[in-house]
Amino acid sequence: MEEKEMSKFVTQQAYIDGKIRALSKMIPQLKIIHKDAESLVTTINHISESSEKISGKIRELDTAREKVEECQKRVSDLIDLELCSQGVQKAIYDEDYEQGAALVHRFLSIDQSVVKQTASDFEKVAGVLKSVRTLQDAASQLREIVKHKFGDAVKTQDLHSIERFFKIFPLIGMHEEGITDFCQYLCTKLEDAAQKNLQTALNTPAGDKRYPVIYADTLTLLYEGVARMVNVHQPLIETYYGPGKLIAAVNILQKECDNQTRRIMSEFCKTRNINKKMTQINEISRMSSSSSFSKLEKIDPKDLDVLIGEMTLMHSKIELYIKFVKSKITTDLDVGISDLDERSKNIDKLEQLIKNSQVSQSKHELLGYYLRMEQYYMEESITKAVNLDTAEQGQHTSSMVDDTFFIIRKCIRRSISSGSLDGICAIINNACRVLESDFCNILRSKLKQGYPSGYLDLTQAYNVLQSSIQQGRLQPGDTEVARTAFVVALNNADSCTYYVDALCDRVMLEIEQAMPTMKENDRGKLESCLSGLSSVTATLKDVIEYGLQQLRASAIKPRVHPWIDSFMSINHEMTEDELSAYDAGETFVQTLIMNLESLLAPFKEVLTPSNYDSLVGVVTNEVITRFEKIVFKTTFNRLGGLVLDKEVRSLAGYLTTSTSWSLRDKFARLTQIATVLNLEKVSEISDYWGDHDGALMWRLTPSELRNVMALRIDFKIEDIRRLKL
Amino acid sequence: MDDYKFLFKVVLVGNAGVGKTCLVRRFTQGLFPPGQGATIGVDFMIKTVEVEGEKVKLQIWDTAGQERFRSITQSYYRSAHALILVYDISCQPTFDCLPDWLREIEEYASSKVLRILVGNKIDRDDREIPTHVGEDFAARHNMYFLETSAKEADNVEKLFMQIAEDLMEQARSKDLPRYDTSTANIDSRTSTIGDSSCCGKLI
Repeated sequence: MEEKEMSKFVTQQAYIDGKIRALSKMIPQLKIIHKDAESLVTTINHISESSEKISGKIRELDTAREKVEECQKRVSDLIDLELCSQGVQKAIYDEDYEQGAALVHRFLSIDQSVVKQTASDFEKVAGVLKSVRTLQDAASQLREIVKHKFGDAVKTQDLHSIERFFKIFPLIGMHEEGITDFCQYLCTKLEDAAQKNLQTALNTPAGDKRYPVIYADTLTLLYEGVARMVNVHQPLIETYYGPGKLIAAVNILQKECDNQTRRIMSEFCKTRNINKKMTQINEISRMSSSSSFSKLEKIDPKDLDVLIGEMTLMHSKIELYIKFVKSKITTDLDVGISDLDERSKNIDKLEQLIKNSQVSQSKHELLGYYLRMEQYYMEESITKAVNLDTAEQGQHTSSMVDDTFFIIRKCIRRSISSGSLDGICAIINNACRVLESDFCNILRSKLKQGYPSGYLDLTQAYNVLQSSIQQGRLQPGDTEVARTAFVVALNNADSCTYYVDALCDRVMLEIEQAMPTMKENDRGKLESCLSGLSSVTATLKDVIEYGLQQLRASAIKPRVHPWIDSFMSINHEMTEDELSAYDAGETFVQTLIMNLESLLAPFKEVLTPSNYDSLVGVVTNEVITRFEKIVFKTTFNRLGGLVLDKEVRSLAGYLTTSTSWSLRDKFARLTQIATVLNLEKVSEISDYWGDHDGALMWRLTPSELRNVMALRIDFKIEDIRRLKL
Repeated sequence: MDDYKFLFKVVLVGNAGVGKTCLVRRFTQGLFPPGQGATIGVDFMIKTVEVEGEKVKLQIWDTAGQERFRSITQSYYRSAHALILVYDISCQPTFDCLPDWLREIEEYASSKVLRILVGNKIDRDDREIPTHVGEDFAARHNMYFLETSAKEADNVEKLFMQIAEDLMEQARSKDLPRYDTSTANIDSRTSTIGDSSCCGKLI
């Protein structure tokens, strides 16, 4: 083993020796490389040091250049200062105020603190201070001159100079004064024009075509004047004063606009007797609500018609003007003020400006007058329409329905033309109240008179005849008149339901056209008010129901009951012979149908289709409930049951075809009773009762069913009792 | 679509500056916006609340207190289910005007309207109307009474929730028998009591 290893080492020796030799040869070379590397490091260090030095120098150079530039600017400022101060006096002396103002403007654009500092740094340049002082003096001198000259120009109405100095103001740092003075000048012009217009209005003869709307015209002229001024001067203000300044201008103009609006409104109130009319209207409504004193002198609603029209026109003009101002200023602010906070502050200012303006106040006052008068107009006109109500022969309804809805539509339309959503809503609310209480009450009270049944006793009939003869004419009896009145009232209520629906639809459409940019909240308001109006149909349906019940009590019940009751006089325990004899003669149901026909036929002519259907429904209910009662008072054999079943079927068939809606459901109970009475034997009921396909949807309770079965004399009580239901 | 079982109209009235708008804002938005400025005409807010597991939609009409808007605001009384008459407990004149407001309510509102008297601004320490005076007034005129602070959110939620509960109670008790009698027979099962369309005429 060891030997083997040893010999392995020996054989490797030569190889290892060779390696060692090669390594010892490389040592001097490594030393050289080491030295080279060291020198490289030092060189790099040097380079970095020197480059840092260089960049520092460059930085210094930059600062130096900035300083030089600043210096240059200062020098140029100083030179300009010098030039300005030299020129400004001359310019003022020459009355070349544009030049002077331009120089001052240049002076104002120089950073004055720096200039002063420069001046103190270089004492030698004492002239600088002097120049500054000169310019400052010149500036204040110029300011005074410009203000003064502007005043003179206004006094002499020198339009050219007014515009000239208006442009100079902002150059010498008098933005606010410029706008104020200029707008105050515009205000005087506004006042003159407005005074003249108002005077013309006051002098307009009553016969003039424009007289009825002369105040609306005057307001229009005023607002158009202001709007024109804003439109003409906005570009000037924007060019010379910068955007975002319009609000300041309008703020001043608005004051004059307010004054003039107040004047026009007060003349309007005086000439049109607004206060007197308002007091009168308020008193009338207070009287009529507390008692029936009608001694008070009433205003004819027709006399208010024109005035109401003028008021809505005035209101819409104010609304339009406010919209104009808002949009103009908002646009100007959007362009002129980029800072959002600042802008929203200004928009708040705008809101306040409008909210607190006399124009807004007047608008609200006007709306108040308008609404009160419109309400009066609506109520009184409808009262009139009701009093003048006439029913044309052959018409289902009378004139008051058409007239009333014409009036309501007119009032709502007028409110839409005012441009005030709150106004529209209030009128809709009022219309809703008038219809729901006043109008429906009138209909109801007419229905309360009832439908005379026509059963006159002899003496009554005799008296009617006598009085008619005495008067020399034979009129349609009082009964006839009362009947017609009743039927017309019932029809009126029915046709009103359609009118109300149509009105709501059309009003919504018209408002959407008139106010295409309604806010979500306003829409909600409007929809709520309109839904109130459309719910008037519910009250109308109550009125119809009330009328039908009246009809039922006086015209249907007393006649239908005896007809049905005659069922009892017929023997329903029949033999075959009796049955064929019965069938050959006039059967109960034939007579009944004939009687019902004679009862319904006259109504078919005079009632609206929907009312007629309702009447048939009422008759059907009456027939069915009575019939059911009578059936329970009768006893049947098999053939009697057969007869009943047949008769119920033909009755149901007749009444169902009499209306446009199905009444078959109403017959369900009666039909089932007849079915039960028509059974062959007791056990047969299982064909109809139970949980299988042939079973009926029973409207009879198990105990009712047993009671019905007990009416069959041939059914054994024990069998019936034994039934498992 | 919003689904709700009941819809009630609540109208707030009272002198200008007593805090009607703040009460409404506090309830509907949870805000107390100072420096609101006077309401113009009528404002309209909706909040759906839940009472006994039922959704109740409250339509709240916040009216302007100023006289010149009276002809607008009056037109809303008639359809109101509840009227909240508000005064400012730190301002005697707003309390003195209450009889005038009641006259208005008498004239324009439905006789069955739920009426609530609210003394607002109890956060203020310059109270002029003691609680019992307000209570007496309310009791004499058959009204509910509550003192609130829109600023501190005191009793505001309670006020409106109480109204919602009462109106729902009223609607249920009045409506049930009516529907029972009118559709006495078979259909009675299918006619739902308070479906949204019929609430307007409940009271």
